[in-house]
Amino acid sequence: MFRTLTKATVALVGSIALAACGSSDADTSAGASGDEGGGGGGTIAVITVDPSNPYWKAEVDTAVAEAEKLGYETTVDAHNNDADRQNQFIDGAISKQVDAIILDPAGADESVGAVQKATDAGIPVFLVNAEISEQGIAKSQIVSNNAQGATIGAEAWVEAVGGEGKYVELFGNPTDNNAQVRSDGYAEVLAQYPDLELVQQETANWDRAEGKAKMEIMLRAHPDIVGVVSGNDEMALGAIQALKDAGKLDQVTVLGFDGNPDAAAAVEAGEMVATVLQPIVDGTTLAVQQADAFLTDGETGASTEKQAIDCILITEDNVGQLDNFVMGG
Amino acid sequence: MSDTLAPERETRPAPPPQEPRRRRINLGNVLVEGRALVALAIIVVIFASLSPNYLQPDNLILMTRHVAMNAILAIGMLMVILNGGIDLSVGSTVGLSGVIAGYLLQGWDMPITQLVAYPPVWVVIIGAVALGALVGYVNGLLVSKLNVAPFIATLGMLYVARGIALLITNGETFTALQGEEGLGNTGFVTFLASAPLGIPMPVWFMVVFAVGFSLLLNRTAFGRWLYATGGNERAAELSGVPVKKVQTLVYVMSGFCAATVGLLLTADLPAATPRAGEFYELNAIAAVVIGGAALSGGRGTIRGTLIGAFVIGFLVDGLVLVGVSVFWQQVIKGAVIILAVAVDQLQQSFQKRRALRKVAASTNRPGSPSPA
Repeated sequence: MFRTLTKATVALVGSIALAACGSSDADTSAGASGDEGGGGGGTIAVITVDPSNPYWKAEVDTAVAEAEKLGYETTVDAHNNDADRQNQFIDGAISKQVDAIILDPAGADESVGAVQKATDAGIPVFLVNAEISEQGIAKSQIVSNNAQGATIGAEAWVEAVGGEGKYVELFGNPTDNNAQVRSDGYAEVLAQYPDLELVQQETANWDRAEGKAKMEIMLRAHPDIVGVVSGNDEMALGAIQALKDAGKLDQVTVLGFDGNPDAAAAVEAGEMVATVLQPIVDGTTLAVQQADAFLTDGETGASTEKQAIDCILITEDNVGQLDNFVMGG
Repeated sequence: MSDTLAPERETRPAPPPQEPRRRRINLGNVLVEGRALVALAIIVVIFASLSPNYLQPDNLILMTRHVAMNAILAIGMLMVILNGGIDLSVGSTVGLSGVIAGYLLQGWDMPITQLVAYPPVWVVIIGAVALGALVGYVNGLLVSKLNVAPFIATLGMLYVARGIALLITNGETFTALQGEEGLGNTGFVTFLASAPLGIPMPVWFMVVFAVGFSLLLNRTAFGRWLYATGGNERAAELSGVPVKKVQTLVYVMSGFCAATVGLLLTADLPAATPRAGEFYELNAIAAVVIGGAALSGGRGTIRGTLIGAFVIGFLVDGLVLVGVSVFWQQVIKGAVIILAVAVDQLQQSFQKRRALRKVAASTNRPGSPSPA
C-alpha cells in the first residue's frame, strides 16, 4: 500500500496537484493487484471502439495485460465510434481521477475536444490505432500506417490478379477515417494499372453479413469480376462466402485488411489472397509503456508525438506465424 | 385455438377497421389501400427498366432471401405493434440466438463437471429459439406486469441481450459450425442454408411464419383479442379479454421470430458473430409501418407487413444492383419510409371524414340531401 502511494505521488509529477487526494484514494483498491508489477500503481483507463470486433478486442486485451504487468489497475470502456459516448467516458475517467488514459479515438476531429479536456484535467492521454487532427495535446499518437498497409495489400493483390480485369471494392463505414485512407491506398496502387477497372464500390459498414449481401447483388450486376478489394477482413469474409455460394471463388481474388483470426484461416485455405496485419498489439504495448514511462519520469521516451508503425502483409507464406494479431516466430 | 370462446363475441365493441363487410370496389380505394403494393410495383418497374438483371429468376430468389430475414422479424414486430407496443430488442436477440447456437455447436463446457457436451442440431435449434422466446417473455413481463413502457423495456433489453452475446463469445466469432460426424451434431448449416426445390430455406420459413401468424390473427380468439387490446385496451379488458396475457405473449412471439432469424443468419454466413443483427429492429419496424400498421396499435395485417418488407428489400437491393451511390441509397430508403407513412396518415383522415359523412347522411335521411 505504501508503495502504491509513493508511485501515485511520482505519477503526479507534471500533472496538476488537484489529482493528488483522489488518485491515492482510488489506489486503495488498486494496490492489491498491483503488487506483482514492476512499476506504476494507480489506474489506467482504456477506452476502445468495439470489443466485439476481434481487432479491438486484441487492443483491449493487450492494453490491460501490459498495464497490469506494469502494476496498474485498468478500467475498460467502448465508445463504438460515438464521440458523445467517448466524451462521457473521458468525463468519467476525469472524475475517477485515473492516472492516464489509453484512447482509441472516435474520429480525428471529434476527439480533439475530449483529449484536450482530459489533458486540462491533468490526465495524460495516449492515443492508439487512430490519430486526432491536432498535435501537442496528447502525449503520444501511435497509429498503424494504414496508407502503407493498403499499398502493400494492393500490390500483393494486383500481382495475384495479373493487372487486368474488372473488380469491386467493399468500403468500410463511411464515417470512419480509416475506411477512406485504405480505399485511397488501394486506389493509388491500382490506378497504375489501366486494364484494371473498378466497376462498383459499395459500403458494407465493416460487417460480414452486409458484405455477403452486397457481394451477392454485385455479382448479379458484374458476373465477370476477377477481384474484390475490401476495407477489412469481416466484409472480405462475407464476400468470400457469397463467392463460394455462387461457385465463383476460383475466378475471383479477394483482399482483406486487419489480419483477424478468421481471415488468417481463409488465407491459409487459399480463399483470401492476402490480408494486412495492423500491428495493433505492438502499438498498444508501446502506448502503455510510454504511459508508464511518462508517469514515472515525465517523458514518454519517444522522440515524436506521432509514431506510425508499418503494417505487415500476410500471405500464405507467413500466415503460419500469425496468432491472434501477433506475428510469432 | 378454439374459435368458440366467449370473449370473442364481446370484443365486438372495438372491431378491426379492415372488416371486409360490404366494401364497394372503387379504383381510388384500391390505389390508396393497396399503396404498399403500388409502391412495390413502382419499384419493380423502375429497377427492371434500369437493369436487365433485376427480374431474372435467380435475382428474384436472391432478393427474396434477403427480404425473408427482415420479413420474419417484421411479422414478430407486427404482433407487438398491433398491441400498441414496440420491440427494439429484436436485433440483439438475432445476435444472441446465433451466438448460443454457435456456442452449443462448438461444444458446451458444462459447469462443475469437466465435460464438454455436443448437443444434436435439433437441440441446438430448439434451445436457441427457446432463448429468444425467453428474452421476449422478460420483455413481456416488464411491460405487462411492471408497466414499463415498451420502448424503454425493450431498449434496455437491446443492450442486455447484446451484452450477453458478447460475454458468451468474449467478443469473438464462432466459425466451426459444421459439427462432427462422430459427435452427431452435423447438419446445422447444411439444413438451414439449403434450398429445397430451389427456394432458399429462409424463404420457406417466411412463408410458414406468414401463414401461421395469419391464421393466428384471423382465425383464433387470440387474434381478435390482440386487435381488440390494440384498438382500445380498456374496452377490451372490460369485455373480458385477458389483456396482460396477450401483452406478454406478443413479445414472446417477437423474440421467437428474432431467434429464428438469428439461426438462419448464422447458417447463411456461416459464422456466429455477436454483432449480428445490429439495427435490424429498424428495418423490421419500417416494414410493418410501410405495410399500413398503426404504431398506436389495433391496425395492421400480415399481408401488408410482408409487402412492406418486400418494398424495403427490393428497393435496397435494386439500388445496389444499378449502382446508386452509397449515400443516395440511404436518402432514398428514408424518403420511401416517410412517404409511405405520410400517405397512410392521409388515408386515415380521408376515411374518417368519409365515415363521418356517412353517419351524417344516414341520420339526415328523411328527405334532406347529404351536405357533401
